Amino acid sequence: MDSFELLKTLTETAGPSGYEQEIASVVKEAWAPYVDSFSIDRVGNLMAVKEGRGDPPRPRILLAAHMDEIALMVSQIDQHEGNGFLRISRVGGVDKRHLYGQLVVVHGQRQLNGILGCLPGSMLPKERSSLPFDFEDLVVDVGLPIEEVEELVSIGDFVSFRQPLRKLQGRRVAGKALDNRASIASVAYCLEYLTQRAHDWDVVAVATAQEETALLGAFTSAHSQRPDLAIAIDVTFGKGPGATDPGTFELGDGPVLDLGPNVHPGMLQALRDAAAALEMGIGIGTHARASGTDAHGLQVAREGIPTGLISIPLRYMHTMVESVDLADVERSGRLMGEFIARLDGEFVANLTAGMMEDGE
Amino acid sequence: MNDLIKKLVEAYGPSGFEDNVRELIRPEIEPFADELLVDALGNLIAHKKGDGSGLKVMIAAHMDEIGVMVSHITKEGFLRFTNIGGVYPHTLLGNRVQFADGTIGVIGSDRITERGAVHPLEKHFIDVGAASRETCPVNVGDAAGFLRPFLAQGTRLSAKSMDDRIGCVIAIETLKRLSETPHEVYFVFSVQEEVGCRGAQVAANRLDPDVGIALDVTTTGDVPEARPMAVDLGKGPAIKVKDSGMIAHVGLVKIMRQRAEEANLPFQMEVLEAGTTDARSIQISNGGTAAGCISIPCRYVHSQSETVDANDVENSVNLLVEILSKPIVL
Repeated sequence: MDSFELLKTLTETAGPSGYEQEIASVVKEAWAPYVDSFSIDRVGNLMAVKEGRGDPPRPRILLAAHMDEIALMVSQIDQHEGNGFLRISRVGGVDKRHLYGQLVVVHGQRQLNGILGCLPGSMLPKERSSLPFDFEDLVVDVGLPIEEVEELVSIGDFVSFRQPLRKLQGRRVAGKALDNRASIASVAYCLEYLTQRAHDWDVVAVATAQEETALLGAFTSAHSQRPDLAIAIDVTFGKGPGATDPGTFELGDGPVLDLGPNVHPGMLQALRDAAAALEMGIGIGTHARASGTDAHGLQVAREGIPTGLISIPLRYMHTMVESVDLADVERSGRLMGEFIARLDGEFVANLTAGMMEDGE
Repeated sequence: MNDLIKKLVEAYGPSGFEDNVRELIRPEIEPFADELLVDALGNLIAHKKGDGSGLKVMIAAHMDEIGVMVSHITKEGFLRFTNIGGVYPHTLLGNRVQFADGTIGVIGSDRITERGAVHPLEKHFIDVGAASRETCPVNVGDAAGFLRPFLAQGTRLSAKSMDDRIGCVIAIETLKRLSETPHEVYFVFSVQEEVGCRGAQVAANRLDPDVGIALDVTTTGDVPEARPMAVDLGKGPAIKVKDSGMIAHVGLVKIMRQRAEEANLPFQMEVLEAGTTDARSIQISNGGTAAGCISIPCRYVHSQSETVDANDVENSVNLLVEILSKPIVL
């Protein structure tokens, strides 16, 4: 597997929250060589099952990596001197400071290439010229007259970003939607790893829908799949200029394992053990309240699911130049794979037993 | 329909205290429902049976309204209060509220030293005419709704709690007019939407529907200096694509739009920047539900003069009847 090529396909495919059909088919292709079956549910989660080797019924672990990405949506159609322009609203936490000048695709009756335009700074009133552009300043221009725009585009159409994945130096790459396609790629590495390592447990790999807006896919897939354990995999803040606090992590130093209320401490320990077995460096992250990731949705499904959280360090989150180190993507996958290969029939019982002993 | 609207919008029913509204709705729907149920939270659920060929569809309209709750009574007999749901401070001063037992209070505020400034909610109080804490007829924990008579001017209808009694009216009318449906349709008159869509959440857990459609109000962009929004009063029901709590199911949105086009009904597409509806709770319930919302354009949402257009109400009923009368293929 060439991780750059894989990530290039994954990140350059459109998949706004709530509009994941296209990216789902690309994820399916990426995971298909390693799994036994696929299904898609009512809210658009793509679920792949890789069966374990034990006799059924086998315990199952759910891996959740969200496939949706932040995007825009047409909120109004304006005309100016016969030209059509689209006003936009955000889908997920779009950082508005970087919108002016971005390339986009409008998903109308057909896909239309467009750009995000605005008055240049030199034409703005002085007091506005140094401020970031806001949504009311910005338009999508697809280069068509108003009649054609009205024919092809409707209010509520999705607008996705258009940005190729670029190689930086070393093993660093930059592009859009690495949050969270980096994790989708990492799950592919995990599944590949498990074709080489025997595993007793069933693995349900889920490319979750609408994480950026509602953690929807985590809540719903954990409910329908009833896993015994779950791991969410997402991105976390990479270290860089201005980002040096203990909640940030060096790119290339390995996956980050989270500790906090969304994570079962026994899961964290077992993930650390798996990293040690691989002699893999890891970071330890913390969250004091909800983690803001699928781990939250997974943990509270059904009767409660012991959940772990693995994160890939990423710089410039929610921009079109999100950057990761390919080594972290591959290592996160191997770590999940090793963790799963080490799961036996007693694992869940041991988690519970440990908690009882602590209570005595 | 105006008699029914008047009856419902003037009723008392802050979140958590929906009993009066439920007892007004029950006799309206009883003759048309195959089954009626009230659950532990107070949701009223009416089942209309299908012919066995369709899906399980949950329709949700919330009975509750925003209001206030007494948190403290001064020794002089004034009531300090907290909000139930999204109550804006600038809608308070001079308004009247009504408690469950009929006690009416007027809202005053601490002295305003800067003309034009709006006090925060906690600097307001309710005066029920009591002379002291001891003689005050209201207790801490009592909830009040706003008091405002229904107003119809032409097709424009104004009231407190148009959000979301107008949704309840649309659900009732739809149930009355829906002669045959392929679907198992559950009309849920939900509780506690204004405080986090809690009624719809448990109703959806109980019903595990394939499809969920909320009926609720949405804001408009057609008043002076409004936040730009492509929804106008009187231009038809709005089919929700997005609000701040959910992205509607794209397949369901497409079907709703198709039904409107086929039946030649006016409609608008809704992209709402702030707020959400019961559809969010339904969407995230169980293993996930294809959820959407028919929104009734409404000016001055969360004020005591929420204003809708009767044609939009009528067309919302027409659209919902169209959707429920035909197969839904997602």
